[in-house]
Amino acid sequence: MNWQAELIQASAFFYKIGLITRKRGFHVFEILFWPAIGLVSVGLLTRYLQLGPDKVAFVLIGVIALSVLQVGQLDISYVILYSVWNKSLKHEIASPMTAFHLVFGAWIMGIIHSVLVFFLLSGFSAWAFGFRFLDAGPSALTLFFLGLVLSSAVIGVVVIALAFRFGGRAHVGATSIVSIIILLSGIYYPVSVLPQPLQALSACIPVTYFLEFFRSHYGFEPASGHLLLKGYLLVFFYLAASVGVLQHSIRHAKMSGVLLKMSE
Amino acid sequence: MDLEHAAHAIDVTGMEKTYPGTRKSPPVRALRGVDLCVDPGSVFCILGPNGAGKTTLISILSGLLFPDSGKGTVWGRDILRKQREIRRIVNIASGHPNLPDNFTVNETLEYFGRLYGLLRSDRARKADELTRFFEIESYRNVPFNQLSTGLKQRLVLAKSLLNDPRILFLDEPTLGLDPRVCLSIRGRLQEWHQRSGTTIILTTHQMDEAEQLSDRIAFLMEGTFIRVGDARELKESLRHRERIVVRGKGLTHAAEALRAVPEVRGLEVEETMLRFELERREHNLGVVLGMILEHGARVEHIEITEPTLGDVFVELAGGTHPG
Repeated sequence: MNWQAELIQASAFFYKIGLITRKRGFHVFEILFWPAIGLVSVGLLTRYLQLGPDKVAFVLIGVIALSVLQVGQLDISYVILYSVWNKSLKHEIASPMTAFHLVFGAWIMGIIHSVLVFFLLSGFSAWAFGFRFLDAGPSALTLFFLGLVLSSAVIGVVVIALAFRFGGRAHVGATSIVSIIILLSGIYYPVSVLPQPLQALSACIPVTYFLEFFRSHYGFEPASGHLLLKGYLLVFFYLAASVGVLQHSIRHAKMSGVLLKMSE
Repeated sequence: MDLEHAAHAIDVTGMEKTYPGTRKSPPVRALRGVDLCVDPGSVFCILGPNGAGKTTLISILSGLLFPDSGKGTVWGRDILRKQREIRRIVNIASGHPNLPDNFTVNETLEYFGRLYGLLRSDRARKADELTRFFEIESYRNVPFNQLSTGLKQRLVLAKSLLNDPRILFLDEPTLGLDPRVCLSIRGRLQEWHQRSGTTIILTTHQMDEAEQLSDRIAFLMEGTFIRVGDARELKESLRHRERIVVRGKGLTHAAEALRAVPEVRGLEVEETMLRFELERREHNLGVVLGMILEHGARVEHIEITEPTLGDVFVELAGGTHPG
């Protein structure tokens, strides 16, 4: 295997999503505007409800985590959705690219955008709401952030797999998956307030553990132990499974002719 | 097997493909046991009416579609098991020039150059060479969606040569282009082929294009090849369908007599002209002319038109004229 050529191929998707970000105003809007609106509106809600600093920290950790998830998955999703919308997908699939190049290249750009959003939102939350994200320390912050960007990669890969199956409508999948995570993984409230059957589902979502891990640095008692181990095992399992699903979807698109139809 | 010097550029047998049906439409059987052998360095043209299976076949060969059954190789590589290797050494361009909308010519070539794993210096060199070759140098900073259809097509072709493909699949590359642009693009393709020796598999509806570019031509009908040969051989097969035009005076009586001759077909009569097809012209033309003269006609001019590739297409496609 020629590693240099493999890295260049992965860099194609990094380059592509970089161009999309630069040229497509709506993408920048999605990366910066919605997360900022989310943070400001929820931050103001905490003021209105006169929440104490611990509750403010709890909620804002959730809001910023959600933004990282959203931004990270957007870059992976758009790298293929953009081609579906432009009907240019067959030219890319006809090249010797693989699912690895696609996911890896776009994910690196997703991480860069997520870091940017993370620090912007952290800075704003410290200034406006007195919540300091960096107080948890660099190692906790890094492990938390890495868990989130890996989770965002899983969502992005699933959305791409849906795109190979259902075309441009797949972006609905991104919204749906993120909504389920908001509901189940304790973004705005502790998982313990959920009904028992839903708590069982929460236990299957890696973001639940990453949030509990990070919140534990702000004095919130975690519901269970080995949070990072569980979170990372789950996220790597889902990542491997989602790449498998993506490869199956590409194969299905080549078998059924959907790939050609998407390029007509 | 020495993969660098494959005996055949393409060698497939029994290729079958049926697109699954949906709730609204039944399954479509696109290929019904296609056998195909293409020599390295040749230009092979696939002709056929809409829906004959041309795009399906080249999509399978270029790794965009899986066949249901059949086996074969592309440049010595197994079509089912070595798809990625095949995609490294082939490239495609189609008559629907769709590329990322707001990427400029430069950005598009840079992006696809990376997809083919080219080093930075090679990407820059190929971009220079191909934009010059396809005369799109002055549009290098223009976004794709602001190019004319002809320029878009040139860019798609430039993209398709980035990796110096051993086999280039061209699916109706001049579709919807004005004749001037068609001629220019054909000229470029011919020049590239002569220069590089790339094997070209071409589908087209334009008979002159097929004749100008191809070494061999195959007619695909309802998912099966029904005739393969070079342009001369194919036209030769319609020798019996040569069209004779006789101009003169007093031809009406002669026309009545000609209707009784079984070798004369499609007789059209005008006051000063007879037009008909004649089977086995070399044997029958003298007899037929003798009959015309016997009926008191005065023959002033005789014109014999050989069948064109379009006539072969019409004959084989059962009356459907290409394009």
